[in-house]
Amino acid sequence: MSGYFIPVLFFIILVFAFFKKVKPYDAFTQGAKSALPFAASIFPYLVSIFVMTELFEISGISDGVTAVVSPILKVFGIPKELTKLVLIKPFSGNGSLALLTEIFNTYGVDSYLARCACVIYGSSETVFYIAAVYFAGAKTKKLLTPIIISLVATFASCVFACFICLVV
Amino acid sequence: MNIIFGIILILSTTLLIFSNPESVLSAMLSGGEKALNLTLKMVVVYAVWLGIFELMDRSGLSKKIAKLLRPCNKFLFGELPDSANDYMSLNISANLLGMSGATTPMGIKSVLELEKYPNTEYAIAMFFVINATSVQLIPSSVLALRTSMGSASPSDIILPTILATLVSSVVGVLLVKIFVKRKA
Repeated sequence: MSGYFIPVLFFIILVFAFFKKVKPYDAFTQGAKSALPFAASIFPYLVSIFVMTELFEISGISDGVTAVVSPILKVFGIPKELTKLVLIKPFSGNGSLALLTEIFNTYGVDSYLARCACVIYGSSETVFYIAAVYFAGAKTKKLLTPIIISLVATFASCVFACFICLVV
Repeated sequence: MNIIFGIILILSTTLLIFSNPESVLSAMLSGGEKALNLTLKMVVVYAVWLGIFELMDRSGLSKKIAKLLRPCNKFLFGELPDSANDYMSLNISANLLGMSGATTPMGIKSVLELEKYPNTEYAIAMFFVINATSVQLIPSSVLALRTSMGSASPSDIILPTILATLVSSVVGVLLVKIFVKRKA
């Protein structure tokens, strides 16, 4: 079902453009042209984020923080097995996907922990990545408040996830 | 960002000097490599979506979508300049539809456009928080993974996920409304 969505959408866009007498080849090429400079402008920010994530993981900070934070998260109803996922998710999509797979393998796909992990994974975004990319070319440096707000909101959804999975 | 980056880098290099000094450079390089791979993937995704968006722009379709979302945008962001409203509407519709590749280029354009105007700090903060807590209707990657690992009912996480993303969005929007000052 969802497989039809994108092609149908593109079809509508193309037919609409045809009736409005837009030159499709010219327009598409013109749009695509800006992709390379776009990506180039984001690249340095991505490098910084990924270098940071990599060092965070390999140095053992992430394990250390996990150990310290676990009891605190426990108070909010987040099981200690999921602490690392909650911590990694804002930094790295790939890293948290790997963790998710690991949780599936260790505890079983249909276990409470696995379902909980799915909801946590699916309901939050990689906040730092979005901050880096969206503000790549921006002059605004006042990012701290929005980042903290996003992290708090993400945390709220994690707490909610662990709760709702007990019920459903 | 400078503070977070600085703290994490200093802490991790200090720890690694004692535990595993050889790994510092290799970890940084492997991070860079991942960034390059992602960038290459993104070039292609951006090219296709920006091509499609240009078609929508020239045919006037994006103006129509922007008009449709105007009341909703007004509630969230306050008064917006027209050009920014266009980009932001496309970004938000792409978010709702779960087209992750399409959200980023429009997101960046929105921020750049908003920055051209004075007193848009509130709108920028709100816009970022909405993207960072995005409402995703169907968590397709998780579903695929669950199916491939033999789950008895892969789809039973859909409803909880939608509810949880709603929680994060609502909390995020409320916090922005409370903590970020709105200048007229």
